[in-house]
Amino acid sequence: MKDRIAQLETYIMKHCLWQFHSRVWDRKRQNEGVLTKTTQILCGEPAAHETLEDRCYWVDAVCLADAFKSRCQWLNEMDKTEIKSLMQELKNRIDYLTIDGSLNKELTDVNY
Amino acid sequence: MPLHEFECSTCIPERKKHAVDKGPGEDLTSALPEGYLNTIPGSISERGCAYCGAKHVIGTPMKDVIHLSHGPVGCTYDTWQTKRYISDNDNFQLKYTYASDMKEKHIVFGAEKILKQNMIEAFKAFPKIKRMTLYQTCASALIGDDMNAVAQDVMDEMPDVDIFVCNSPGFKGPSQSGGHHTINIAWIKDKVGTVEPKITSDYVINYVGEYNIQGDEVIMQDYFKRMGIQVLSTFTGNGSYDDLRAMHGAHLNVLECARSAEYICNELRVRYGIPRLDIDGFGFEPLSDSLRKVALFFGIEERALQIIKEETARWKPELDWYKERLQGKKICLWPGGSKLWHWAHVIHKEMGLDVVSVYTKFGHQQDMEKGIARCEEGALAIDDPNELETIEAMLKLQPDIIVTGKRPGEVAKKIRVPYLNVHAYHNGPYKGYEGWVRLARDIYNAIYSPIHRLALLDISKDEIPTDKGFATRRMLSDANLNEEIASSSDLRPYTGKYDCLPDYMNHTYPDELRKKPAGDN
Repeated sequence: MKDRIAQLETYIMKHCLWQFHSRVWDRKRQNEGVLTKTTQILCGEPAAHETLEDRCYWVDAVCLADAFKSRCQWLNEMDKTEIKSLMQELKNRIDYLTIDGSLNKELTDVNY
Repeated sequence: MPLHEFECSTCIPERKKHAVDKGPGEDLTSALPEGYLNTIPGSISERGCAYCGAKHVIGTPMKDVIHLSHGPVGCTYDTWQTKRYISDNDNFQLKYTYASDMKEKHIVFGAEKILKQNMIEAFKAFPKIKRMTLYQTCASALIGDDMNAVAQDVMDEMPDVDIFVCNSPGFKGPSQSGGHHTINIAWIKDKVGTVEPKITSDYVINYVGEYNIQGDEVIMQDYFKRMGIQVLSTFTGNGSYDDLRAMHGAHLNVLECARSAEYICNELRVRYGIPRLDIDGFGFEPLSDSLRKVALFFGIEERALQIIKEETARWKPELDWYKERLQGKKICLWPGGSKLWHWAHVIHKEMGLDVVSVYTKFGHQQDMEKGIARCEEGALAIDDPNELETIEAMLKLQPDIIVTGKRPGEVAKKIRVPYLNVHAYHNGPYKGYEGWVRLARDIYNAIYSPIHRLALLDISKDEIPTDKGFATRRMLSDANLNEEIASSSDLRPYTGKYDCLPDYMNHTYPDELRKKPAGDN
């Protein structure tokens, strides 16, 4: 599990930008929005993308899910419960790296 | 924390927190330098000031505007023409620069009168230009001239003009980044929403944090237009003042340089509900992902896939020609703010270069988070380096090339390290598929330039070989190359034109692409 999360984490950190928005509240919203939809797509569940905001998370999620599936063949052999558990652990890890354990002192500024 | 202490900076102990080595197993919770702090006294920084950040970086790329500095001529002169943000209106914004010409007597008696006089004179000298940006400098800020009142006075007298006032004197912030921030917030506060957008497509974006350096924006506009997407405004390269007043009319903000322009995207999201999509315009794979995301947002993914297919087929063999010859070369990635993370991973992956160091003069910790996350282990990350530190780093890391701005670049030349200007560019554009190949070409030309072989010889002590003729780049780059690759007919060096932009600007785009297909919501 740990190795698999590390693979997914490395992909996000090297290829994505959505996790590095400006403030704590942005990062929480971004991580939640993109990774929740990525999980839904990986599990074959509908991911809402009717509003502009949802659509923006969704496009990152679609590309992320595609990248995960093409680079991590083992994902295709997991069932929904396993994927959800894996993705929750991944979100915890991304939250830790970008929010809870972050050394970025500007994350808590109250203004943009 | 794997802090890196420079020998030359042991006398400035605070500097130790501004550099880290990304060692094995390090992540962002253990390796992140300080950033966006006031420069430590005694450290000769390479930063710019907050006035420069507001005017030179963000304000002046606007093309149909008189950009006037309220201060001494030196302020405006030193922020004039050092960055090649070209425009499609004959580069009006680059050709001229304006100042209120403050002198000592104005410090004593005030400069509002001369400011008004010079504003009116500038409008009369260029009667077709009806827009002006007005920049505060340290001198006018310290004497407290009320520029907003003067601007209102001029607008009352000349009802057909509109003036934007930016109160970002040089001392307002640790670096030019303070100016980026101030002008972002001032623009959304004072100007966005004051003009009704002219919508010509069902797919509308603002392209934000793009400054059209040597035509970057022209290439990216071409991709968007080929998909039928209207770029309502570009913030701010090749951007029009009134288009930027209408930013509230877009469906999506496509953000390129988050360092200089994320503030306005954040505010547009909060105030107008327009989401922010961060993209990479550099590198084949990141650019392809970015185009696909923008297209997906509008439900027109197949159009992006078509562009990706065509452009990759056209340019990939040329990128790979350079990749084979740049494999394993060491690069110091020392640009301003955003390119350190735009390029940190992809320049390694797609050009084969090993990034041995990333630095930023004015970036924040957020930029270092992205840069450190993307670069490989072993890289040295430096915030706000001084000149001695950059020399020490170059001597220690022995890079084959550094990519940076002209100030540190000239220092690099003196110690015989090839340098490429990635602020104003050498032979850009560098964005887009063709642009990325042009960057690879420029890096190749710099690393293998025969002059560097000659420059390394010291005629006062080295033996000068007289039995060898002049070597070409190709002789140097292909000397140890596998014969199969060296003579491959699948790969080729850059075949584009010296000036590639006219071809992009002459493209035509079918009108029907701008309308959603019937029945598509």
